[in-house]
Amino acid sequence: MAYDVKAVKQQWEGHETPLVWGRYPVEHEPIRRHCHMLDDTNPRFLEDGDCPPVMVDFFASLGPWPPADYDIFPLVARIPTPGDRLINLNQEFEWFLPVRVGDRLGARHKVVSVHQRGTRLDPLSVWIKTETTIVNQRQEVVAVRSNQILVHRTPEEIAAGSTRA
Amino acid sequence: MRAAARCWDDVREGEELPGFSLELSATRMVLQVSGTQDVYPVHHDQAFARSAGHADIFVNTAFIRGCLCRVLTDWMGAGGFLRSLRFQMRRPNLMGETISVRGRVKKKRPEGLVDLEVWIEGAEGVTVPATASVTLPARA
Repeated sequence: MAYDVKAVKQQWEGHETPLVWGRYPVEHEPIRRHCHMLDDTNPRFLEDGDCPPVMVDFFASLGPWPPADYDIFPLVARIPTPGDRLINLNQEFEWFLPVRVGDRLGARHKVVSVHQRGTRLDPLSVWIKTETTIVNQRQEVVAVRSNQILVHRTPEEIAAGSTRA
Repeated sequence: MRAAARCWDDVREGEELPGFSLELSATRMVLQVSGTQDVYPVHHDQAFARSAGHADIFVNTAFIRGCLCRVLTDWMGAGGFLRSLRFQMRRPNLMGETISVRGRVKKKRPEGLVDLEVWIEGAEGVTVPATASVTLPARA
């Protein structure tokens, strides 16, 4: 049966998850590891307790262990698509408030749009746009993030003409 | 080292940001997984990445945006506030490459706002173009 993108759009566009709080407060140690991977020696982050702006969604997340739905990928994986390989293509962040060590962050995620357009990787590629709203312990919005995700099949699946949905 | 606070008054349109380079060595790929806690195998498992049609493992979104953020926060100093960042990942940055992260002031706007272009480039050119806006303090 052909992939019914209209039915998927109808079911999933506008779907929103409830607010889920990050597993831990904003902490020095993950900030140190973030800085280590980038050779970043900025004392604002390593000593003063400022959270690097791009880490707000990290601290608003349950993280990969123990198993839990975290960030947008489990949500995206529930949307029926011909393939199950994901690539994050574009991202947009807007920040409204600073975040510091000790703050508590949470996030809710929304499926903004689903459409199908072929790519070099897969003629049946599906494009999914999501929006994540991140709040602090006072429920003030500290940041909004948008992602454009591409979902595709493997070359073997394409060669075999197989689809997941 | 603690960077001096940058004031909006001192910024010039067209000014280049001091950039930096990183070699995407095997160790850097390990640091990437540690730093981002992103364990999707396309970023650390060569067989998985190749089975999906990629040439090799490549750095993830959180690493990419970390680089873009660093070039901005290095430049703006303690008084600046990053307001927005938009980027496109046009080509993967594969293990073994050396990437350079660069930036340039595009426009100064009232109320301390500065618009910038930032980007990541590899051996074959720009892989991640981006735009950003920051707020800087006025000179006292």
